[in-house]
Amino acid sequence: MRKIATLVWKDTILRFSSASEILFFLILPIVFTFLLGGGFSTFATEEDTDSRIPLLVVNEDDSDLAQALLDVLSTSETVRVDIMSRDEAEAAFADETAPALLLIPAGFADALLTGETAVLDLRQLPDDNNATIAGRAVNTAVSYISRPLNAARASVTIAAERQPFADNAARHAYFTQSLALAQDLAAETPQRVTLTQPETATTQNGDYNPATQSSVGQLITWVFIPLLGTSGFLALERRRGTLRRLLTTPTQKATYLLGTITSQFLVGLVQMILLIGFGILVMHVNWGNSLGGLAILLVAFALTSVAFGTMLGTFVKTESQASNLSIMLGMSMALLGGCWWPMELFPPAVQNVVKVLPTTWAMQGLTDMVMRGQGVNAVLLETAVLLGFAAVFFAIGILRFRHD
Amino acid sequence: MSEPILTTKDLRKSYGDLEAVKGVSFSVLRGEIFSLLGPNGAGKTTTISMLSCLLSPSGGTAEIGGHDIISNSLDVRKIIGVVPQEIALYEELTARQNLHFWGSMYNMSGKALKARIDEVLTQVNLAERANDRVSTFSGGMKRRINIAVGLLHKPQLLFMDEPTVGIDPQSRRRILDMVKELRDQGMTVLYTTHYMEEAEELSDRVGIIDHGKLIALGTQAELTKVVGQQETLRLHLGEGHLAEDHLELFTAVQGVLSATALNGEMALSVTEAEEALPGVISKANAVALPIRSIDIEEPNLEAVFLHLTGRALRD
Repeated sequence: MRKIATLVWKDTILRFSSASEILFFLILPIVFTFLLGGGFSTFATEEDTDSRIPLLVVNEDDSDLAQALLDVLSTSETVRVDIMSRDEAEAAFADETAPALLLIPAGFADALLTGETAVLDLRQLPDDNNATIAGRAVNTAVSYISRPLNAARASVTIAAERQPFADNAARHAYFTQSLALAQDLAAETPQRVTLTQPETATTQNGDYNPATQSSVGQLITWVFIPLLGTSGFLALERRRGTLRRLLTTPTQKATYLLGTITSQFLVGLVQMILLIGFGILVMHVNWGNSLGGLAILLVAFALTSVAFGTMLGTFVKTESQASNLSIMLGMSMALLGGCWWPMELFPPAVQNVVKVLPTTWAMQGLTDMVMRGQGVNAVLLETAVLLGFAAVFFAIGILRFRHD
Repeated sequence: MSEPILTTKDLRKSYGDLEAVKGVSFSVLRGEIFSLLGPNGAGKTTTISMLSCLLSPSGGTAEIGGHDIISNSLDVRKIIGVVPQEIALYEELTARQNLHFWGSMYNMSGKALKARIDEVLTQVNLAERANDRVSTFSGGMKRRINIAVGLLHKPQLLFMDEPTVGIDPQSRRRILDMVKELRDQGMTVLYTTHYMEEAEELSDRVGIIDHGKLIALGTQAELTKVVGQQETLRLHLGEGHLAEDHLELFTAVQGVLSATALNGEMALSVTEAEEALPGVISKANAVALPIRSIDIEEPNLEAVFLHLTGRALRD
């Protein structure tokens, strides 16, 4: 035990002997978490803290249906409707102050009421996730106001089959009456499914929250990359001959590996605690209501990362190889694991493929706890999978371990 | 000084088809300095690596302090100290921190370790730099800390693998004196080198190793007997003249037994230097071969190596 403590002491001094280590340990994680999490908006006033995606709207159709569409959109929790004139909206869209612009053209309601195809003009910034989300919100709202219309049309058809209308005026009057009734009923219909979220969760209704996504994703990214650097430690010890010398002392190979792994693991845990503290104090992120769940998941993830670094260390020959591979693999696996943007934005096939990555499981577990407010039971599977990864990586690393 | 602390029998190490050590057998007696002398690549480091339990032998046996190096390696590692060829230290740590770390790896701790660290720092003359980072040390100072690590736990047998490579003459002198002091204090040292002068100065006994084979073993006096009363004439030729081009010319001179080229110099083994010298000079004059200087050398380990292998030690 004393030897392991001494190895931890030595590795900690070695790791922090270079000022650049602080860059990866704390500065870069904090900077990226801060910027991707909304940056300075964290300090904005309450009025400015509406994190919904802005949607520019131009309403050129002075009708009840157009107003109904706006009413539905204004209740959205993902988009914030900014109504303005066409010139203002087009200028703002050109300046990319909003990712999407919705134009309701004159005659929109008439087309709907007469059963013709009504056209809405939706403009979206290319390759922009927020534009995609705004588009989905518009589709949802259109679908909502279309339901009473479809019901009114269906009732006119059924009434005409029973007894034909005397003339078009009678048909139109019946349609108008049916539409009004359908709209009233739609408004009064109780919601059959209600999405609920525990009060402790950060977001109101499970919506995407940049600060939370950033804190969680950046924690995984910036803990993962330095822990892959365990490979660099092994390469360094081989190059200097200290590993060979160590194995001529009455110290078992297992003791050395355990000491090295423990030191990296502990540094990873300290880093996690600091980043969680930053998330809570600066980004106002609530890390869920299950301390136990958070602890077992993070411990499993740290073990997996160190094990991966140990395995990697048996494949590389030099420290520079180890460093380059750690950054390249760490960043790629973090990106594909959903640490930089929500996994839901990936195509379904990719979502399945990336399950071979430990970062995917870590991100999934943390998201379940932090964004969805779930407890320890919800992350048992993710924890078990991460520990499985760790066991495999350690086994390969120990089997391939060499001193030169 | 009669009981062996180390005994090897037919020790071998192969890497695929390459046989690095080809059945080496020797003993090291308690309290002696035993040198393994040989050129680079002769198998010295591989032999030490096997004896220090770092490499598994492909064949043969070795015992240190009565413990088999394969089946009882942990006990072997407790009684040996190793000073590797490279500076195997943590440059980010201070000298004291390095010694503390390595002492802990030798199961030392507490006040005993602290006191021993002070002792070895004094022994290697670096007590004043104890709290400086090793990265700020000169090459010679790093070598001395490298040795201090090997001495920390007072090993019964100390392996020193070419400990003077790449350092200035002053630091080298200090290290050689230190090795002799260790022997005087009763420590057994197995010293590898390709410097003939070091082996001559330090060793009680020498094993000459070449191409993985131990080709001679004994005290210096015993080994030089191999070459009889031969002396060596070392000819430094004029600029632009290669010794290799004139070897046959001199082998025909009366009293010259063999001729070897080395770094532009020519080494002639002769039965009696004074008798052979006139013939050598007149032969050189006859072909207008300029000779800048001639050294006459008494029989030494270099001559032994030359005699046994037909090559110079530094080839």
